[in-house]
Amino acid sequence: MSVYLPIAEMSVDALLLLGIGLGVGWLSGLFGVGGGFLLTPLLILIGIPAPVAVASGANQTLGASVSGLIAQWRRGNVDPRMGVVLLVAGLAGSFAGTQLFVLLRRLGQVDLAVSLFYVVVLGTVGALMVRESLRAILRRRRLAPARTHQHSWLHGLPFKMRFRRSRLYISVIPPALVGFGIGILSAVMGVGGGFMLVPAMIYVLGMPTTTTIGTSLFQVTFVSANVTLLQALQTGSVDIVLTLLLLAGGVAGAQFGAAMGTRLRGEETRALLGLLVLSVALRLLWDLLETPGSLYFLGTAT
Amino acid sequence: MPQDRVFLVVVDDSPEKAVALRYACLRVRKSGGRVALLRITEPPEMQEWAGIAALMQEERRQEAEQLLSALAAEVEEMTGALPLQLIREGDPVEEVLEVLAEDPRISILVLATATEGGPGPLTTALTGRHAGALRCPITLVPGGMTDAELDRVT
Repeated sequence: MSVYLPIAEMSVDALLLLGIGLGVGWLSGLFGVGGGFLLTPLLILIGIPAPVAVASGANQTLGASVSGLIAQWRRGNVDPRMGVVLLVAGLAGSFAGTQLFVLLRRLGQVDLAVSLFYVVVLGTVGALMVRESLRAILRRRRLAPARTHQHSWLHGLPFKMRFRRSRLYISVIPPALVGFGIGILSAVMGVGGGFMLVPAMIYVLGMPTTTTIGTSLFQVTFVSANVTLLQALQTGSVDIVLTLLLLAGGVAGAQFGAAMGTRLRGEETRALLGLLVLSVALRLLWDLLETPGSLYFLGTAT
Repeated sequence: MPQDRVFLVVVDDSPEKAVALRYACLRVRKSGGRVALLRITEPPEMQEWAGIAALMQEERRQEAEQLLSALAAEVEEMTGALPLQLIREGDPVEEVLEVLAEDPRISILVLATATEGGPGPLTTALTGRHAGALRCPITLVPGGMTDAELDRVT
């Protein structure tokens, strides 16, 4: 059952897209993650052009984060002030990221750049995840919750601000830098960035875990909405047929995943996610290094 | 006076838990026994990072400990003895049933009902579907009772 994607300018099996949406939705429900970091590379692997894949990933992340954000907001787990600081910086970051994207597109290097970003980021994150869970599985040792509360150079910075909900009194510079960086990643990779934002908020900013998840969802929701919009306006790469098919699968999958997630916990699932992330990164790396089947092709230069 | 008459109060985030706690303290002060406080923490949500899930669990436990020791000071002031402090992680209804089943010291479960919009999820579950699984009596205190009224009925 092939459908023609008007913006991606190619025909794809609709069932394949529904299946990808279902699988990514299932994982995002299970782990409470946005899923953009799996969706975008999977789309690239089935041959969707990188700009379209990135825009669809951002859109999928938006869908997955909104319901989570509403639930966390009701429970009072969002620090609005920290959220706004992260968000303003995140919007600036995603704006810069989209400009970078436009520039890369003009140079004709956008597919290479997106793949490289993915190989580096997913490779690192996947390796860390696998290492963390292997350690826990092998030793069955309770991971010592380590949190450094020493006064580092971060506490000497100016423009201090009080974040009451998070019980913090810190300079706005570190959260702004974190937000900006995640904004760039979001625009270039089509991810929400929660999997990097959450550890950064806890270990770098020293936020308590109660407000971290909700506040990161706050930032992710609005930044990915902005990325989707900017991608649609500036690069014209949001494919409505593609996103609709993915969302249909994603919504159904997320329900299954969330239901299973309450029963399923533990290191084995986490190790599987890590292995999945790592294998996606390796596959992308392989595609970059492999000698192409046809070394040249004739066509009009874009 | 039986030494092992223990009133179990479930410390949740509802406003009416203060009424249940006060009722239990007054009963203890007037006719003997002990108060036990039970705080049930939420298990950590699924996290892609194991370290963060562990940290989350740890911080919720610390928060529960702080809350209980603050309330324990109040209880001591009213009854003259420190209460038993129990912290469990999981689903509130299941954990209450489990604590009752495991701890033979507990003789009465004190619950306060919410004043509006039904009696509250824990009360509904324990007096309805799970009422048969209890192994001690329940006392239901209407959440709207004032201190003077509580004083009169104890």
